[in-house]
Amino acid sequence: MSLLHATWLPAIRSPTSSGRPALLVWADTWRVATPSGPGSTPAIHPFTLNPKELRKWLKQKELLPEGIIDATACLTLPSRATSIRKQKHPAKTLNDNNSHLFDHEWTGLPLQAGEPIPKQCEWWPWQVQGLAIEPSEATIWLSKLPLSGKHLDLGDELRWWSHLQRWALSLVARGRWLPQVELSKGEGYPHRARWVPLLNREDDRRRLEELAIRLPLVATCALPWREPMGRRSNRTTRLRPEAMKASNPVASCRPRSGRLRVASLLEELVDAQLRQGFKPSTEGLDPLLTTWQEALGSETGVIHLADDEVKRLTTASNHWRESVAGNVAAARACLELFTPKDGDELWELRFALQAEADPTLKVPASSAWAAGSENLQLGEIRVEHPGEALLEGLGRALTVFQPLERGLDNPTPESMELTPAEAFVLVRTAATQLRDIGVGVELPLSLSGGLASRLGLEITAELSDKSQGFTLGENLAWKWELMIGGVTLTLKELELLAGKRSPLVRHKGAWIELRPNDLKNAEKFCSINVDLSLDDALRLTATEGELLMRLPVHRFNAGPRLQTVLEQYHQQKAPDPLPAPDGFIGQLRPYQERGLGWLAFLHRFDQGACLADDMGLGKTIQLLAFLQHLKIEKELKRSVLLIAPTSVLTNWKREARSFTPELKVKEHYGPKRPSTLAELKQSLTQVDLVLTSYGLIQRDIELLENIDWQGIVIDEAQAIKNPNAKQSQATRDIAKPGKSNRFRIALTGTPVENRVSELWALMDFLNPKVLGKEDFFHQRYRLPIERYGDMSSLKDLKARVSPFILRRLKTDKLIISDLPEKVELSEWVGLSNEQKVLYNKAVEETLDAVATAPHGQRHGKILGLLTRLKQICNHPALALKEREIDENFVSRSSKILRLEEILEEIIEAGDRALLFTQFAEWGHLLKAYLQARWRSEVPFLNGSTRKNDRQAMVDRFQEDPRGPQLFLLSLKAGGVGLNLTRASHVFHIDRWWNPAVENQATDRAYRIGQNNRVMVHKFITSGSVEEKIAQMIQKKARLAEDIIGSGEDWLGNLGVNQLRELVALEDN
Amino acid sequence: MTNRPADNTPSMTTALSDKGLSDQPWWVEQWMELINSYRFKKRLERAWTYAREGNVTSIRFEGRRVHARVQGTDEDPYKVKLWLDVLNDEDWGYVLEALTQKARWSAQLLAGIMPADIERAFAASGRRLFPFKLQEVRSECNCPDKANPCKHISAIYFLMGDRFSEDPFVLFQLRGRSRSKLLADLAEQRREVLAAIANKISKENENPNVNHVQPVPPHPSVVDPSLWWQYEGNLDSDLVVITPAMEGDTGLDSAGDLPLAEEPRFPAARQNFLNHLHEQGKTLAQQAMIQAMSAGE
Repeated sequence: MSLLHATWLPAIRSPTSSGRPALLVWADTWRVATPSGPGSTPAIHPFTLNPKELRKWLKQKELLPEGIIDATACLTLPSRATSIRKQKHPAKTLNDNNSHLFDHEWTGLPLQAGEPIPKQCEWWPWQVQGLAIEPSEATIWLSKLPLSGKHLDLGDELRWWSHLQRWALSLVARGRWLPQVELSKGEGYPHRARWVPLLNREDDRRRLEELAIRLPLVATCALPWREPMGRRSNRTTRLRPEAMKASNPVASCRPRSGRLRVASLLEELVDAQLRQGFKPSTEGLDPLLTTWQEALGSETGVIHLADDEVKRLTTASNHWRESVAGNVAAARACLELFTPKDGDELWELRFALQAEADPTLKVPASSAWAAGSENLQLGEIRVEHPGEALLEGLGRALTVFQPLERGLDNPTPESMELTPAEAFVLVRTAATQLRDIGVGVELPLSLSGGLASRLGLEITAELSDKSQGFTLGENLAWKWELMIGGVTLTLKELELLAGKRSPLVRHKGAWIELRPNDLKNAEKFCSINVDLSLDDALRLTATEGELLMRLPVHRFNAGPRLQTVLEQYHQQKAPDPLPAPDGFIGQLRPYQERGLGWLAFLHRFDQGACLADDMGLGKTIQLLAFLQHLKIEKELKRSVLLIAPTSVLTNWKREARSFTPELKVKEHYGPKRPSTLAELKQSLTQVDLVLTSYGLIQRDIELLENIDWQGIVIDEAQAIKNPNAKQSQATRDIAKPGKSNRFRIALTGTPVENRVSELWALMDFLNPKVLGKEDFFHQRYRLPIERYGDMSSLKDLKARVSPFILRRLKTDKLIISDLPEKVELSEWVGLSNEQKVLYNKAVEETLDAVATAPHGQRHGKILGLLTRLKQICNHPALALKEREIDENFVSRSSKILRLEEILEEIIEAGDRALLFTQFAEWGHLLKAYLQARWRSEVPFLNGSTRKNDRQAMVDRFQEDPRGPQLFLLSLKAGGVGLNLTRASHVFHIDRWWNPAVENQATDRAYRIGQNNRVMVHKFITSGSVEEKIAQMIQKKARLAEDIIGSGEDWLGNLGVNQLRELVALEDN
Repeated sequence: MTNRPADNTPSMTTALSDKGLSDQPWWVEQWMELINSYRFKKRLERAWTYAREGNVTSIRFEGRRVHARVQGTDEDPYKVKLWLDVLNDEDWGYVLEALTQKARWSAQLLAGIMPADIERAFAASGRRLFPFKLQEVRSECNCPDKANPCKHISAIYFLMGDRFSEDPFVLFQLRGRSRSKLLADLAEQRREVLAAIANKISKENENPNVNHVQPVPPHPSVVDPSLWWQYEGNLDSDLVVITPAMEGDTGLDSAGDLPLAEEPRFPAARQNFLNHLHEQGKTLAQQAMIQAMSAGE
């Protein structure tokens, strides 16, 4: 798979052209390539799509920009060195004549994003082919890119670009720009009219820092572009590959940090954005302004005016801009306010120099003065001319905060004193204005304007003595105090302070700012008696700054018993484990005991719970243990309804039978299911667990909703993700409490908390109040998060839902130690109707044939039958020798249905899987199906794959950062010798009745080099020959390799009766 | 200032009358006062008409002189030169020394602001930055008129004030120091003053922040090349919803009037230019918001 990148090409301006820059989009892809080195020009990047391929690919992805031309650029990329030969001659110059000296002195390959970094990593220039987008089109294209999330086709830096562009849009929307005139860079170069962003505001400066710190260098790794000499440049020839050869030497750009670079990129985007939309109107303008304005709207921005006139415009426009914003610099002046010393009235204001990148890096003015003409080092940041930087900022500050004038009367001022009134002006208004003109202001903590400086509450609470267990609505024993700026005060004290009529007052040693409404709010709060429920406590402790009766809660002190509840609830600590209940056959792993404890904890609260553990961690077992726990505690009084996809019903039945045999389980499924309420009620006597499918819940809703269920459990809960689908509605309806409460539990292996769009339906099932109505949810959370990746909304959402979701990954440290390195999972599946018919027919026909066959042919006939039955269990299409997949391909086989569900989780999680089959025809069908289903390549390694191709498939699977996630192999060709440790899942789609062969295949992934736990999925068709032979093998554990050898021949010697028993389809 | 009858002062200050003198930078104001103190009102009036009708075809600040061309009755425009007495190096030495005494002066000059009390620094040398009388402004015109200032020169007077507002440092230039030279000299002067202090400080305690040898640490991408492609940032919450500026809060609003001298023939040009920018700014902001709204769809 290819990955798209975008790199800015800063055009070199030349006398013949305005040298317009461009955004280069290019894509790398996996190929086998020979390492190469630079000759007289940088070597060609061997892994890029050529422009034609790239256009096609972009078109497919609906990402093809307008206004593009084919382009080649020279990019510096981390590279893997393969050989470095000694140079015969030291490099003298890099011109063409002696460039042959450099041939093959260095060879290597550029690294691709996501590839493991080799020890020997160097930076080398590569000729990269791609498409150049002109700036105005680039702004449009970038605006359309997704703003959040990882995307398989898009390099990380595209998200960086889309954020930069969004900032540019914001600057334009807020009018944070001015037109400027830029003097020619030298003889013959044009003068230009430019639009520049104004980055004086505090939030914009902070944003510049953030984007600069996080700048992925690939976005700016292009070397300046040289145009071909002697050729008139125009848009079609300007960026031709041959241009490279003529004039671009072999060189690499140095990685540098990018404040100025990011600022200039932003400027390019803002300039392009404004330029393309600006419509000049020259009415009533003098010639000078006419020319300027026309140039502001022209494509190139070139200004045709006499030099001295341009100089005038430049000076005037710079002077104009300087009155609003200074230049982007590494450090800024900073004013630090200190509260008066005891008994003193005056506040101290100290001058300092502060790093833009990190406001905590500060030095007092004295250091700046002392530096003289030397650079000053602020942590890692180098500040040039520190004294000037400080003075310039102070000069600027003076325009906003007049009292400063007093403090600047001597040559090297370090601090000054402010009157209380001046200090208040600074705190209240000037601080913001100063920050907006790029001067740092540090206020005492209690006055720094954050939430902490507001009037709020300190709460102390504990579960009441009477409280036995606990319920959400119960009232807590609690008390509160008013709190402001980190200190508590009584209403009387507040009244006293308010009476002082000074906005900055001192209380308990801290200076606080009283606001006009503070006293009124406090009085109001004190006048009513408020109860505090456990529910309130849970809410108030979920996120910071929650309000109680309009007052922010600054501090919440929970007593020890309440604290335990809160911690468990907010999942700040692992849930208390609950050991496996009596009657549970088998063992729970430690994390499963914690899962059980958690389910029980939320059950006591009557809160719905979603167990979202990774696949293979045993969600089924935990749920069964939970039901058994209820049963043992005599809390299981009515039936529990479990809704699952049809494909896993068999599995549930099997697991319940083996782990919790005491639970009485019944299926509500199939044509013989009860069809009247009376029948249904009758059939539910003494039944603990009823299994049904999502399809039936929808069909039989009227019947099922009239049963008084004790609880509703949904498995593969992603099935209800679409809130408007009927099965989702029916499922949620049935979970709503009627006369009596129903507990709700959802099971899923998908990372639900990350899928905002799917969260609402799930929470509506679990705890409808948490996220409210769908419309509200859509506006408040879904739109901001999905469209714009709004982190604050996401944080809030997560805080709301996280108490109800428990997700453990098999890679979690706590889990991994509990897990064996290889986890074997039996995937029980049924047969579709078509499969059943075929199966029975094959059995009948062949058994007769076997019985009547001469002894010598019998062996072959038996094996033939077994093979055919295996094929039918896989898919009717395989048994019927169909060559192509049809529309109903999935629904015709239960096995495929289940396989698809599991693979979906794996692909979603970004894991990789090996799929083994023994039938080549099946492999081809499956490959076609999987490729269509996930629209990506699925390699199939089988007996007819040529040796070279084999190696390429394996290499690609192991090495390509964006290689295929699924790898199909035939058991015979792929079962031995290969190293495929990148896979953490192994599927045995059909069974080879020989554990040794299966294990060997499994070991392609489970071997040295494997860093993850390996999940081995073995499909077993329930009731069929697959199940029975599996049982046989298990029973006869002694039937080790030496007896059954490596083949399935041993099965050929079965007697007819034995055989009949083995193959007859058991309907259960 | 003398008391003048109203009819004697026609539209002399038209260039500034829209806003009144008080809105002008103080140095422009001072310049206009200087002109208005001139005795020959009639000549001034004619000169103003001249200027207003666009007879001044160019004004250039070249080094220490102002060169201008004024279209008179002759076919070719007259060449006008204006200059002030330049301060010699010794005088500048005094000025610089005085300027260094108050951090505020340097601070303001660095921030592009002309300190209102700048003359106090010049007083140290016994000289002035601003001419005190119009006679101090030296001038030359190649017109036949023997009187100095002739109406061509006077016409330049009017336009000069405006030109000062484009760049206040022009005054320093006329006195012999360009802005960059002045700032460099100031920095140098300050360093000398500071050197003593710095010495004292470093003797008292070794200052850890001033470190001349500390190398710039390598870029993080050098240490971890996978950072070359990595971006883990999330969209700034403030960029989720793109909002327009509050009323009167755009960059154009804060920048105010463009400090570009008026071309007398197009008295409304600057205002038109700014109005159009404001208007287009609103449209462009709208477009940007629409574009932002459809992002990620």
